[in-house]
Amino acid sequence: MTTISSAAEEAPVAAPLVGRPDVNRKRMARLGWMFAAPALIIVGAVTIFPIIYSVVISLSNAEVSGNGISLNGFTTSNYSLVLKNSTWHYALAFTIIYTLVTVIVELVLGTLIALVLERLTAGRGAMMALLLIPWSMITVINAELWGYIYQGTYGVADAVLNAVGLGSPNILGQSTSAIIGLMIADIWKTTPFVAIIVLAGLVMLPGDVYEAAEVDGSSGWSTFWRITVPLLRPTLALAVLFRVLQAFGLFDLPYVLTNGGPGTATTSLAILGYNAIFKNLSYGPGAAVATTTALLVLLGCLLSLRTFRVQVGKEGN
Amino acid sequence: MRNRKRTGWHRVINGLNISAFVVVLFVGLPLYWLIASSFKTASNLGDSPPQYFPNPISVQNYHDAFVTYDFGIYFRNSLIISIVATALVLTVGTMAGYALGRLPMRGKFSLMVTLLIISVFPAIAVVAPLYLLLRDLGWLNSYQGLILVYTAFNLPFAIWILRNYMLGIPKEMEETSRIDGAGPIRTVWTIILPMALPGVFTAGIFCFTACWTEFLFALTFNSANNYRTIPVGIAEFGTVFTVPYGTIFAASVVAVVPIGILVFIFRKFVISGLTSGAVKG
Repeated sequence: MTTISSAAEEAPVAAPLVGRPDVNRKRMARLGWMFAAPALIIVGAVTIFPIIYSVVISLSNAEVSGNGISLNGFTTSNYSLVLKNSTWHYALAFTIIYTLVTVIVELVLGTLIALVLERLTAGRGAMMALLLIPWSMITVINAELWGYIYQGTYGVADAVLNAVGLGSPNILGQSTSAIIGLMIADIWKTTPFVAIIVLAGLVMLPGDVYEAAEVDGSSGWSTFWRITVPLLRPTLALAVLFRVLQAFGLFDLPYVLTNGGPGTATTSLAILGYNAIFKNLSYGPGAAVATTTALLVLLGCLLSLRTFRVQVGKEGN
Repeated sequence: MRNRKRTGWHRVINGLNISAFVVVLFVGLPLYWLIASSFKTASNLGDSPPQYFPNPISVQNYHDAFVTYDFGIYFRNSLIISIVATALVLTVGTMAGYALGRLPMRGKFSLMVTLLIISVFPAIAVVAPLYLLLRDLGWLNSYQGLILVYTAFNLPFAIWILRNYMLGIPKEMEETSRIDGAGPIRTVWTIILPMALPGVFTAGIFCFTACWTEFLFALTFNSANNYRTIPVGIAEFGTVFTVPYGTIFAASVVAVVPIGILVFIFRKFVISGLTSGAVKG
């Protein structure tokens, strides 16, 4: 754009800029949509369209052949099939329990780590850098690493358990221990993420409240529960929400570490959906699993929307 | 920052050092195991009880990862896809972040909430229709297919981060620029962008990390050896009967290093992104 044409474009609008704010506002809004359009089109085409398409597939007698998918009319049989399926019941229960346990443990451990780091006078930067490594690590690598640790004959976990007299259980060979093993691998990778968020929340807490508490003779423990925890609640609530929604889509870790097994012991909803679609080529039921999972996530989001509204409102639109 | 006095100061310091040490062990030991194992010989990897320090130290696994296996190809693919997707996200996302943060658009709030929900949507919900879509386009086993998907899925979070940074820029800056006769694009380029640069860094690192680590889409769309990314490549090193742990760990160390360096250099931005992402939404 040359200077002349730009000046010519701007000149006629420049005058009403001051006098008529509504016209200016309209023009700025149009500009806004223009600027936002590329992003909204990409996001819409690649996320919203497939979401709708997935719902359509889940509600049809979908058949897949070499040259595409044919929908063959409306049906709700995919959903009744899925809702009555015991494997789905198990995957749903497993995913919910897995999510609850890992998020609670990560929250408690993450808060403890944040409290330790907050009091640290030296080396806090180095600690933060160390904490960021598991967070930025590829989950597949995490899975392979813990697979080697849990290996039945030469894994280090086996050696450690042996040394403390717990025998040598085949950790990934039994349902309960495989689930616990999976949770530990997840907790190791994600606790640092929670710790960093909580630490940032701790640092931002107002100091005068603590001075007042001290004057009133409040002990460290009751200060923590009565002041720190309530003040941290917005931070914790959103960290938890993000973790819950993420954990609900659990796929990478069990896919590589246990391949959903032994049996179906660690088959999450995402793995169940993936196997239905890409291994058994049952697109309809697979899409029904995927859609119900998405609906549950959406429900979680909507239930927490009030928290968000408060937060976003505070930002001042 | 708060400033509070403590009683039993010495007790706190001693307890503190011990607990900090425990944290280092908790995070560090598995990392040590990854690195140490990558330098063990194939036979020492199977020792029981395990070798706690690699002896002899061998770089054979690194050689195998690149020569026997095609880790070089996977590394190149990951690099190309992550860099291009990040560049696209930042370009398109900055414009959208500016619009949603600073321009008077109706329905902004609903739009932001929709983006937020999309950014936490489980990938499994869209992987099948996207697979069919990319197949029709002939974009399975290509760079552009995965780049498009990564761009779309990382845009919502990037827009959120960028919008939050844009909100913090004083209005006068823009008005001065407008009065000086600068068009909207020039205003964004010369005034807004330099001030929002920390947000751009933050969004960039998050996007790059997400692309570098993503597994489900890459596994489904780019399964051909020549188009595999690092996570898929590493996951497929093993067969049903043998898992070449040495090669896997050598490849893993190489995959962790670039992102580790990036995160270390830009840790200030990562931390601010983690907190603005989680605290502000």
